[in-house]
Amino acid sequence: MALTPTAAPVAVGVRTFVRLKLRITANSLRGRTTRIVMFVLGAVAACFLAVLGHALFALPGLLDRPVMAGVLFPFGGAVLMLGWVFLPLLFFGVDSTLDPAQFALLPLRRRTLIIGMGTAALVGLPALATLAATLGMVTSVAHLGGLGAALAGLAGVVSGLLLSVVMSRAVISAFATALRSRRARDLATILLAVVAASIGPLELTLLGVLNRADWDSVEAIAAVTGWTPFGAPYTMGLDVAAGRAWAVPLKLLIVLSAVGLLVWWWSRTLEQAMAGTAGAGGRAVTSDSRRPVDQLLFRWSPRSRFGALTAREIRYWWRETRRRAALVTLGMAGVFLPLSTAFAGGGGQATGLAFIVGAIAPIGLANQFGYEGSAYATNLATGVPGRLEVHSRAAAHALFTVPLLLLVAVVTGLVADRPEAVAAQLGTLLATYGVGLALVLPISVRAAYALPDTSGPFSLSSGGGFSKALPGLGALFGALLGGVPMLIVAWTWPWFGLPAGLAYGACAYLLGAHLAGRMLDRRMPELLAAVTPR
Amino acid sequence: MSDTAAMALRGLVKHFDTRLAVSGVSLDVPAGSFFGLLGPNGAGKTTTLSMAVGLLRPDHGDAFLLGYDVWRSPAEAKALVGVLPDGVRMFDRLSGPELLAYHGLLRGMPAETVDQRSRDLLDVLELGSGNRTLVVDYSAGMKKKIGLACALLHAPRLLVLDEPFEAVDPVSAALIRDILQRYVSGGGTVVFSSHVLEVVERLCSHVAIMSDGVLRMTGTLDEVRGDRTLSDVFVQVVGGRVATGSELAWL
Repeated sequence: MALTPTAAPVAVGVRTFVRLKLRITANSLRGRTTRIVMFVLGAVAACFLAVLGHALFALPGLLDRPVMAGVLFPFGGAVLMLGWVFLPLLFFGVDSTLDPAQFALLPLRRRTLIIGMGTAALVGLPALATLAATLGMVTSVAHLGGLGAALAGLAGVVSGLLLSVVMSRAVISAFATALRSRRARDLATILLAVVAASIGPLELTLLGVLNRADWDSVEAIAAVTGWTPFGAPYTMGLDVAAGRAWAVPLKLLIVLSAVGLLVWWWSRTLEQAMAGTAGAGGRAVTSDSRRPVDQLLFRWSPRSRFGALTAREIRYWWRETRRRAALVTLGMAGVFLPLSTAFAGGGGQATGLAFIVGAIAPIGLANQFGYEGSAYATNLATGVPGRLEVHSRAAAHALFTVPLLLLVAVVTGLVADRPEAVAAQLGTLLATYGVGLALVLPISVRAAYALPDTSGPFSLSSGGGFSKALPGLGALFGALLGGVPMLIVAWTWPWFGLPAGLAYGACAYLLGAHLAGRMLDRRMPELLAAVTPR
Repeated sequence: MSDTAAMALRGLVKHFDTRLAVSGVSLDVPAGSFFGLLGPNGAGKTTTLSMAVGLLRPDHGDAFLLGYDVWRSPAEAKALVGVLPDGVRMFDRLSGPELLAYHGLLRGMPAETVDQRSRDLLDVLELGSGNRTLVVDYSAGMKKKIGLACALLHAPRLLVLDEPFEAVDPVSAALIRDILQRYVSGGGTVVFSSHVLEVVERLCSHVAIMSDGVLRMTGTLDEVRGDRTLSDVFVQVVGGRVATGSELAWL
């Protein structure tokens, strides 16, 4: 048979990518009631946040308070944009409905791919909610400055959304590429530390200023922020309303060059992401003359099923990219959040933020069975009882987390210059951690979902990233609420904080682990099916 | 259920969403047999074997392994069976020796026995007892071999292997065949699925053919084959197209 060339290829448009994404999202929901419920819940939550945000941003205009708008818009916009970058890193994972690696074999230009993927990223609940919320700013400036201001505001809001999406994609793609290779983990750790540390100074100035309630300098900082890519998109409308129309083209230029730079960066890392893990290679192979059991277990592990399960979990927290990413991010958040606030002079806030770390910590376990996917079949085929499974996983997680919590307690205590509060702080942290575990462990059994079979550290399976993160976020708030009694105890009787917190956390954990173990005994095959990628 | 059945399936049914993957499979695997489960891709072999060993809950029906009901007394049943699931990831961020130690300790074996047997298996399968390469970096053939080693470690009386020869090079395949034949001649029972007819014809004492979730034929190799080749029987039973018409003229 002769090979006849096909007709001239038709250019692939943006619509193809958008339709592909919508189709994959729809297919992933088909016939799965739980997923539909989760998706609807996610949509309702997104709607709620969008309406709330819209109302908040529309308020200065409706009250005719341009000064308030001048502070709220750049700060609010910058917070939203930082949220786009950090929330996926911390909680959600990236919606990899369209995984660049899947397009590697198709004859697509990089340009087409970037535009297509970027547009597809704009089609989603978070982007729609952000747009709806920031449109509140347009409502405001329309009241303040009429049609011209509204148009400039609209242009700003739309370019701001574009910048948020591109920034989020670029940063995450870069991290993902960095963490994918096993050799690059040290580099990635440093990168993450730098990024996390850069929030510090920002918070420091902000909180320092807010503490002194010096509104002049707040306005000055807001004005400066308005000239950075973070605030520029959201202040264009205000500039027109204030008679500084000349600022609009300049700010538009700032935003668009930022978008351009980020797209360039993204396209660089995207190419590496497309090449996938094929060339990632293993580490240098050395021989180990120890006996197999000694190779698996640590010196102090019990020679039992519990020992084997915990040892395997501990090795997995370090060797599996997704888990390592979760751990590194937690470590950074845990140290830098309270530290930066404490430096800003807010000892009280630092205590509060440290308190949150205890609740964030268990989130990494919310989909713990999803991390290893169908490998869980091993434990099922060998008949590991549910409670043993749950306890061993929690023990391995605690081995990493409890030292971190201790560090957080010591650091906040010392920086806030209240060393006597360290023990009580640790008590509240352990209490929230225990309550968090109690909530997260049953969630990890009931609401497990499959992660895609890649080693991309931040990728989620197709569609509904937000709704999949909901149970975990619920557990976060639950842990915060559950920890409040211990916070009160620690404030009232500081000396009693540690034992009370420890006992409270341990009781909550035992209850949750018991419940999760019972659930697991009943639904092991269902759990395996849920975490098996299809 | 006959006393001699190593594996007995009774009316297994499984739906996925709306699709009927396995519809009423009943099967007896005699103890000491080398049993091949044949079928084209998507016939329901993996689904059937998963239900048989307790990895997938059937919608209806029962599965007995060596007389124990897999779904009512799972601990006893699982203790006597070794499983190599296909397409299922192992804990592949462990090295080969670590993975074997993990399996052994989960099976409740004493550490010394685990060490001894792991080294034997790693040496025989040429995986190296000091090899620190993670299983994720193994080749396809090595992955099958370490999977088989994990299934054999606790010396089970029944081995259930899903596609043990898939993507395995000829040398490793010969080694695996030899180990399995030795295992059966020592009194063990092997059930394995495959769509490679030559392997089945060469190894098996008993054969079953599945397609579209239904068991089409079962019996000893000679009963199923009759005076034809297994390939002819398979194509006739399963049906389907074996030659192209004029559609691919452009190729």
